[in-house]
Amino acid sequence: MMVKRKMSQEITTETEPLAIEETTSSESKLRKNLEEIKTHEGVIGYIFRNSKSAAIDLKDPTKIIDYAVLSSSSIETGEELSELFDLGQIKNVVVEGKEAKVLSLVDNQNRISIFTEKNIDIAKLIKKLS
Amino acid sequence: MANETYDLALESTLTEIQNICPDITHTFMFNEEGKIITNQKTPKKTISRIVASFEGMFEKAKAIGGFDYMALEASKGRVYVTKINDIHLVTVTSKKADIQFIDTVTRIIVPAVLRLLEKISPTPLKKLAEITEEKHEPEIIEETEEPAEEVSTEKQEEETVESEFQTEPQTHQLMVENLSGGFLGGLLVSSDTVNIDSTILTQWEELYENQKIEEVEIETFHGKTIRCKVKPIKDSKYDGKGVIQMPEKIQQALEIRKGELVRVKPIIY
Repeated sequence: MMVKRKMSQEITTETEPLAIEETTSSESKLRKNLEEIKTHEGVIGYIFRNSKSAAIDLKDPTKIIDYAVLSSSSIETGEELSELFDLGQIKNVVVEGKEAKVLSLVDNQNRISIFTEKNIDIAKLIKKLS
Repeated sequence: MANETYDLALESTLTEIQNICPDITHTFMFNEEGKIITNQKTPKKTISRIVASFEGMFEKAKAIGGFDYMALEASKGRVYVTKINDIHLVTVTSKKADIQFIDTVTRIIVPAVLRLLEKISPTPLKKLAEITEEKHEPEIIEETEEPAEEVSTEKQEEETVESEFQTEPQTHQLMVENLSGGFLGGLLVSSDTVNIDSTILTQWEELYENQKIEEVEIETFHGKTIRCKVKPIKDSKYDGKGVIQMPEKIQQALEIRKGELVRVKPIIY
């Protein structure tokens, strides 16, 4: 629900990442990293959310809903796989499509999805965020 | 026959994947229609839940051009989902698994096996997946009305592929058929002899410089092997059908039954 609320607002603001409710210092650091990553060539944008706040910043605002849904779905699928095979806490999920790919990370309460073009080295992004 | 071959070959591939890499804890395949191919090491209930979960994912992955690959890293292990044609290969590994090696297996070796299977038989992999759930329904020769032309094409392709592997003794995949003694209740059947196509025997004899083939090694897809004497099929009904007539005693020893596939190769002295 929170994501939807944010998304509709994001469409109106378009260029600026939208933050909802208060942020903590660790979140600030994470978001700073995301902002930096977003400037890298081939990075399409990111979605950040936790129980208190959320932010979406994508180059193409028309894809916000599709990307947000994919972000949730990839993490949920990852969690289900982890539960079924007893793999413990999930760290990250990478889903590659024919045109782009998404890296989703779970860090405590924070869930982050970074959308990139196909040729981007995801391992570097993971390293940057960890 | 072709479908059964696919079925067994893929199951065998999954087993071999786990054999070569013990860090792979589970591996199975499914297609987007939800059909499953498994080597039975992963409970079907678990797989069904995963397939259902992926159905949603595939739909949503259209946002990035359609699903191609997924990698999950968790604290105690990893999961890789690779799309190969219409099939998705799921590989679950322990934390210590060699990522490079897993990547080679899932992205190079398995696709190569699937391509080879497609080359051997033109049957679409989609159809293979469909029959997998039905689980080894024995094919009844009499009811198969395949045109002779189609059978010969299949044979030609089999021979073409086999010619690429001439260093190994020439192996044939044959379907098990009961060998009984008819009215005499088995009195005329030797319990240590199997019957195969005379053309295969002739082919082997020509290949191995006219050496008479008197024994063969039979291997099941579960890895059991046995050596026994061989003679040509006498019953014209089975000649040229790609079957191996086998006495019940040998079937029991190999833990197989009529309708299953086995690999047969000549014993060369």
